Amino acid sequence: MTGPSGAGVVTPADGGTRQRILEATYACVARWGLAKTTVEDAARAAGVSRATVYRYFPGGRDELLDAVVSWQFVAFFTRLYDEVRQATTLEEVLERGLVFARAQVLGHAVLQKVLETEPEVLLPKLTVESNRTVGLVAAFLVPYLETRPLAPGIDARTAADHLARMILSLISAPGRLDLADPVAVAGVVRAELLAGVVAGPPRP
Amino acid sequence: MSSVHLAVVHGEGGGTPGGRSAPRRAGTVGAQRLRIVDGALTCIARQGIAKTTVDDVARAAGCSRATVYRVFPGGKDEVLAAAAETEVARFFSSLAVDIGAADDVEAVLVTAIVEAATAVAAHRPLAYLLEHEPELVLPHLAFGRMDGLLRQVATFAAPFLGRFMGHDEADRVAEWTTRVVLSYLVCPADGVELTDPASVRRLVRLFLLPAVAALRGGAEAAGPCAVVPETPTRRKLS
Repeated sequence: MTGPSGAGVVTPADGGTRQRILEATYACVARWGLAKTTVEDAARAAGVSRATVYRYFPGGRDELLDAVVSWQFVAFFTRLYDEVRQATTLEEVLERGLVFARAQVLGHAVLQKVLETEPEVLLPKLTVESNRTVGLVAAFLVPYLETRPLAPGIDARTAADHLARMILSLISAPGRLDLADPVAVAGVVRAELLAGVVAGPPRP
Repeated sequence: MSSVHLAVVHGEGGGTPGGRSAPRRAGTVGAQRLRIVDGALTCIARQGIAKTTVDDVARAAGCSRATVYRVFPGGKDEVLAAAAETEVARFFSSLAVDIGAADDVEAVLVTAIVEAATAVAAHRPLAYLLEHEPELVLPHLAFGRMDGLLRQVATFAAPFLGRFMGHDEADRVAEWTTRVVLSYLVCPADGVELTDPASVRRLVRLFLLPAVAALRGGAEAAGPCAVVPETPTRRKLS
């Protein structure tokens, strides 16, 4: 998994040519959008030949753009992980996570631009990534669930899967919930989201 | 029942943008719109949206190109929008009949989820699109469009859920239910089959009914923020 890095200056420590191509492609997307970014654009921006781009991404433009989306997706969840890893309770993970994630989505200029101008290009790729991510988010939540008495009929993995799905859903579309309001978020997390999941406070 | 439900039950289907204000002429215009919409749906089931032309739609509807443009001056895009609206209205109309007969919240939610999943699975135009042209469907199910869909479902569900709870609670329950359906539609899981009433009943009992109970409890308490229940709620599991 590559670490998060912005679309700025590339240093050798960032992981070589493949990463440089990804970051250059991302810069092209930021300027021209997904549909108009070509392998030539990416090669020129990265300072490599077309052949070099095809060597790292044999599937061409589609594979290159999928890799850029994947990289940004991983970077997003890495930042989210850093935000919540210090949390000691399940409630804190969910509350801090939702508020942070939504702010990141709204503040991600390239994401917002692509969602507005060409959602049909991005969303199929995001759907693929999201499906993989449900498992990762659920795996992160399991230890927090294992410290709690759970509601009858629920095990930690089932609960984690459900919570992961609802978290991704809320980040994408908050609906009636104001994710900028930590008090509202706490209310909904504790009362509605965890209602069928936890049966009491953490075990000592 | 609200006027939305009356329009839906009478099969008036897709509306013009901005809503209908002119009195309906019995039969002719509505029937012609529906024939063209159904013609478009037939074409989409067979070959998708990109390859479907206005000529294809006209042929399937048994009318001329000129007629299609007269009824839908916006051309293919307007026909597609009307087709989507009509199918959604048909679905809600059929669902209204089934959940209107439900005895309790669990029955409403199980019926609604099973019927939604079954309708999606059986919908040949949608199946073609999801398989071959997902980029034409998915933008309508995510981010800002999902917010719109959540509101639309909540508006539809309000009178049915309102039999069992207050308006705010009904909106929240409709929203959670829609989130669950969309999540499993887009990201299926082993062990969850949304077209199977037993599987859905388990999901509803585990995750949705407790939220309903918490919302009702919260609505009775003073203050804007619901409180965590002190004792776990008792639930029957059979």
